[in-house]
Amino acid sequence: MTITHPSTDILILGSGASGAAVACRLSKSGFNVVCLEQGRWIKPEEFPNEHADWEIQARTNWAFDPNVRALDVDYPLNVDESPIDPLMFNAVGGSTIHWTAHTPRFHPSDFRVKTLDGVADDWPLSYDELEPYYDAYDALMGCSGINGDPANPPRKERPMPPIPIGQDGERMARAFDRLGWHWWPSDSYVNSVPYRGRQACNNCGNTGLGCSRGAKGQTDVAIWPEAIANGVELRTESRVFRVETDAEGKATGASYYDADGEENFQPANAVVLAMNGIGSPRIMLNSTSGAYPNGLCNSSGLLGKNLMFHPYAMVSGLFDDGLQTYKGPLANMILCQEFYETDPSKDFVRGYTYQVARSSGPVSTACGYMFGRVPWGADHHAEFNRRFGDVTVMGVIGEDLPEEHNRIELDPKLTDSNGIPSPKVFYTLSDNSRRQLDDAVENAKTALKEAGAAHVLATRLLKGAGWHLMGTARMGADPNTSVVDRWGQTHDADNIFVVDGSVFVTCAAVNPTPTIGALALRTADYIDRERADLKS
Amino acid sequence: MNLTDGEFLLLASVMDIIVPPVDELPGAGEMGLAKEAEELAARIPEYGESLHRILEALSLEPSVRVEGGFAALDEEQRMAAIEILEANMSKYFDKFVDLIYIVYYSDERVHERIGWRSGPLQPLGWELPAWDPAILDKVSKREPFWRRV
Repeated sequence: MTITHPSTDILILGSGASGAAVACRLSKSGFNVVCLEQGRWIKPEEFPNEHADWEIQARTNWAFDPNVRALDVDYPLNVDESPIDPLMFNAVGGSTIHWTAHTPRFHPSDFRVKTLDGVADDWPLSYDELEPYYDAYDALMGCSGINGDPANPPRKERPMPPIPIGQDGERMARAFDRLGWHWWPSDSYVNSVPYRGRQACNNCGNTGLGCSRGAKGQTDVAIWPEAIANGVELRTESRVFRVETDAEGKATGASYYDADGEENFQPANAVVLAMNGIGSPRIMLNSTSGAYPNGLCNSSGLLGKNLMFHPYAMVSGLFDDGLQTYKGPLANMILCQEFYETDPSKDFVRGYTYQVARSSGPVSTACGYMFGRVPWGADHHAEFNRRFGDVTVMGVIGEDLPEEHNRIELDPKLTDSNGIPSPKVFYTLSDNSRRQLDDAVENAKTALKEAGAAHVLATRLLKGAGWHLMGTARMGADPNTSVVDRWGQTHDADNIFVVDGSVFVTCAAVNPTPTIGALALRTADYIDRERADLKS
Repeated sequence: MNLTDGEFLLLASVMDIIVPPVDELPGAGEMGLAKEAEELAARIPEYGESLHRILEALSLEPSVRVEGGFAALDEEQRMAAIEILEANMSKYFDKFVDLIYIVYYSDERVHERIGWRSGPLQPLGWELPAWDPAILDKVSKREPFWRRV
């Protein structure tokens, strides 16, 4: 028998980067808000960095890849048709638990790629419109960084100064200087000083495994305490399987399984989907009804399509000066945007960012995440000693363009532990992205050699790198070519909103979370300003 | 996953070849790490499958089918037998090597040898030199070059 709860104004599905922001913003304005999260709270003492076996946990129960973790709280993904594995985390805080919190913004040109470069589509909004929401999200999550970057527009001062870039960061910075290339200290949602009751980072290294100090911008510590104080009910271990609608196609709430496997129904005046660029379209595709025979708000037929990752290449430099490059936040050092924009002399459009990153502990070194697996046998120890603490990585984030054939569908057989269909991912790397990555690899080799690397190793496409999930419920003005409008409201129902990376029209060449957060706050602002009818 | 006594001894022997002795440390097998490998393989199916398949293939490898088995071979013959598996079963072999590396490089004796501080990363963290804005001297003088819209 279904358990039906009292109705709420706003029902948010997912507690990660976007859901938390919407919950916090709308609860401040007096909306009643319930958030359903399939995961649970993770206590600080549970994070791997508090345990001696953290490197084992990073490969097992705390792996980035849900198919490796294979926990009941995760849903498996069929990745047989994708060269890139999607990564995500399910808990209060969503994937902000395991992200590395590298937080550059889109550039103004990223919103106008059709106009400027004749590819993909322009966004139905501009950088200038989004800028105040970027600032607001930076303030919520806590951004460390510094003004004056010549590759980006001037902006409001960051809440905190940059985190130290370390000797390894300086080495790369000076190499970029010698080459005449751009570089800048990375913006990071990592506290360089104590911020809003959270401690400063102590450079332990593995930001990707959750931060027990609260020094990283995870929404469980950066946003949820305030949202809950505002009155939001965050209901954990609540796995949504369908958004319910009436005969006219308007949302009436969502159905979910609780921790005991019981079916629940949470009625609401509006539903906000915030379950990431795969999770949201998955549940929307599963929400078929008389009004929506092809999936929730899918009159365009584009739901689940135009999936974009940032295909990652990784170029690693092996140095011999013993800088102990495992000291410091893993991926929060400096970036280079020398090749960010379209260069007509090249054989691809758009461009890429280099995210300079560190190495990690002994297991990572031996298994080769940063520089290939250390050979076994007689040469093993000498080779391990050469690599340990001596690797610096240039990660390539290239702008992936939207293509309809890159998509997710519901797998006909695979399900999660509640029997909800899993997504199947279909993705092929485009020729443009391939050429982009090839160019980036060659330039990275130049930079690493300039920095003094004795050896350079390139991984031209990193399989376990689907951190950024975007484009599957794209935003636009035309209901025939997009799923949501410029406010994140679906074209088909005025009380259904999508606020995660699904709404991206294009994906730029930067990590997406500040943009996801800014868009979510903008949608919340719109609901507050224009949709008083949703408030009881 | 429970290994038979024979499989356990075979695993320990192979581990000594994969990660041989160094300085004062014996090889990974002689260090007693086969037990840890067996336990981790029991927890993680993909490691379990790799361990099972590699040990099975090694026991069937013609060059190993001599009296005394793998342990009776000299080092060169052992290396050759393992190289055959590496060439023919790379998917499983790679995971098998990962499994051995994970347990070896999680061991405190190994940490001491390589100069790694054992234990959790927190609460100690690491010291980094303080942020020095002087490093921006050159790049901050560059004219803004972001693309106007």
